[in-house]
Amino acid sequence: MTEKKLVFALAGNANVGKSVIFNYLTGLHQHIGNWPGKTVERAEGTLHFKGYTIDIVDLPGIYSLSTYSLEELVSRKYIAVERPDAVINVTDASVLERNLFFTLQLIELETPMIMALNQIDLAKKKGIEIDTRKLEKLLGIPVVPTVATKGVGISQLLEKTLEIVEKNQTAKGKIRYGEEIEERITKVAEMVEKIQFWYPPRYVAIKLLEDDEEITREINRIDPQITRAAEKLAGEIENLHGHSCSTVITSERYEAAGCIARQAQKIVTPTKPPLTERLHTITTHKIAGYPIMASVLLLMFYSVFTFGNYTSELISNILYGWKPFFSSVLGGGIVEKLVWGGIIEGLIASVTIALPYIVPFYVILYLLEDSGYLSRIAFLMDNVMHKIGLHGKAFIPMMLGYGCNVPACLGCRIMETERERVLAAFVTTLVPCAARTVIILGLVGQFLGFQWALTLYVVDLLVIFAVGRLAFKTLPGEPTALIMEMSDYRKPHAKTVLKQTWFRLAEFIKIAFPLIIVGSFAIKLAEILGLLEPIAAVLSPVTVLWLGLPAITGITLIFGVLRKELTLIMLATLLGTTNFAQVLTPVQMITFTLVVMFYIPCIATISALVKELGWKKALFITVFEILFALTIGGIASRLLMLVPT
Amino acid sequence: MNKPEKAEVPLTSLRDGETAIVTSIKTACGKGRGRGWGFAKRLMDLGLTPGTRVTVVKSAPFHGPLEILVRGSRIALGRGVAERIFAEIEK
Repeated sequence: MTEKKLVFALAGNANVGKSVIFNYLTGLHQHIGNWPGKTVERAEGTLHFKGYTIDIVDLPGIYSLSTYSLEELVSRKYIAVERPDAVINVTDASVLERNLFFTLQLIELETPMIMALNQIDLAKKKGIEIDTRKLEKLLGIPVVPTVATKGVGISQLLEKTLEIVEKNQTAKGKIRYGEEIEERITKVAEMVEKIQFWYPPRYVAIKLLEDDEEITREINRIDPQITRAAEKLAGEIENLHGHSCSTVITSERYEAAGCIARQAQKIVTPTKPPLTERLHTITTHKIAGYPIMASVLLLMFYSVFTFGNYTSELISNILYGWKPFFSSVLGGGIVEKLVWGGIIEGLIASVTIALPYIVPFYVILYLLEDSGYLSRIAFLMDNVMHKIGLHGKAFIPMMLGYGCNVPACLGCRIMETERERVLAAFVTTLVPCAARTVIILGLVGQFLGFQWALTLYVVDLLVIFAVGRLAFKTLPGEPTALIMEMSDYRKPHAKTVLKQTWFRLAEFIKIAFPLIIVGSFAIKLAEILGLLEPIAAVLSPVTVLWLGLPAITGITLIFGVLRKELTLIMLATLLGTTNFAQVLTPVQMITFTLVVMFYIPCIATISALVKELGWKKALFITVFEILFALTIGGIASRLLMLVPT
Repeated sequence: MNKPEKAEVPLTSLRDGETAIVTSIKTACGKGRGRGWGFAKRLMDLGLTPGTRVTVVKSAPFHGPLEILVRGSRIALGRGVAERIFAEIEK
């Protein structure tokens, strides 16, 4: 057998274990990028099997192949236009009916396909037994039962998939809709057959009757007669049923899915609800749910910060230990200053945020996600988030923001619409990240007392709320409401969690590291050239007159663009003391901290914003936040003057 | 058409644990593919088609979202969404 190349696509609903299968198949040979021109993630990997080199494309988790979302559009086009050699439809055996609804749509695309009936172990626990033979017969495609988390059935799945590829088998079965619909599908399909189009004629006919946006538009361009005919026929169906044609077809498709599911599965409801069920009930409980959530989050923050502080210090001590070595090699002087102070300190800065804070944050977050708890948090927080025009899911990137704003901005992808991604990303950049926490606690907390630090946090929450609400009211468009599946709790899959973490970390390194290093270098250069003092002087009308701060804080604010906690370190260096009480009044401390909290997302966050939202929106958010921070700082310093201390 | 007008209520008026049959999803702009179109389509894709049994498990406090069971899957619906899904209570 010669080395042959094949492409398999994984398709299925969200939370069915698709990524576990993907990881199982491809190991570390993965590449995660975006679909061309889209913010939809595209994961690809390679494996070698029986003399074949197989590319696996992991399509996004979706519930349908209509064009409600970008993910659905991307998936459908991929299957129809790029024609993978086989589609592996991953399904959750414990929610068979809903999964079959998607399977039936894939079958309509008339592509070579196979089903991986996953999580049969969880289904069994819920008392669901599925007759795979019967399912195969009813669907007309091979079905392989799998337990992906344990690797059960995966090699069999691959073998069967190769079999259908070698035999060149496409999905044979098709659902029959009601006579009155079938008749009209045939009529439209006959017209479509005469034109050249990349989707199968029957599929196009069904989609035209369903008034699918993309296909109607495309066909209209080729032959408007067809769309007109389809519209008329759809109107007839509508009159017969009293519902829109798309509703009727969706209903019938679900009817077919339900019918197949009922024939293929036996459900014996267990007498005692399984543990996962009881866990769900308590974690979403009207009263108990909230303290549980608070404890989980507190525990998460506490462990991340404890671990982070300890490791961050350890790493920076080790790295700074090399300074004498570098000094001896570079021989002091300007070269050493630039190389050490610019490039290497920039690198150290990046490493000491990335590894100690971001890695544990991701690990815990993905553990929570994989287990299913994040969707429960979204459920509990939904009405709070609605006040700022977002829904429950937006709470997740906001929480991430407390660790680092960069992953948080990238995490805003989970929001459904562009409008919500912008809103969520904007609000997220106002969340005090680990670096800002260092300043709040290290300056205000230490010198003015914990209650003042706490006050600042409360102020921050109020600001997030107020600004978020303002942005929500000014941004055009309607808020999307929460529509989210809460799949059953399950044991998180360690390998998948670690791999997710690894890919996110790689993404962070790619975005943030170069910028922080180049930025450090530029500022070091400016310092050596003696440009910092003049810059501080230029900024002094703002810093001194408006904010009432010492002029040198202007320099530290510039450094803060690289990394916020640098502002405090720089302040100490420039003021020549770490006892800030000697050089700053309490009012100045609070003003300074407020400005640092809001004034700009750091350079890495800005680039994350550019990546996710485009440079225009990123620039707007940045400029807005600078002006906003200065306004807040100025007002606060004046107000605080009035407070007798 | 046989529209059972009198017993039709939005999901939000169901009590915890109550089961009903979906009758319709009201979109903001009636017929055609307006803003509400994608929204109704998405709900139907999740299984909320007319004639389907739906159980409201519970609702989160302070006008929070609803947890519903439909076709064996558990879905969280924001209140704004649930208000637009109409159902008929089973006798």
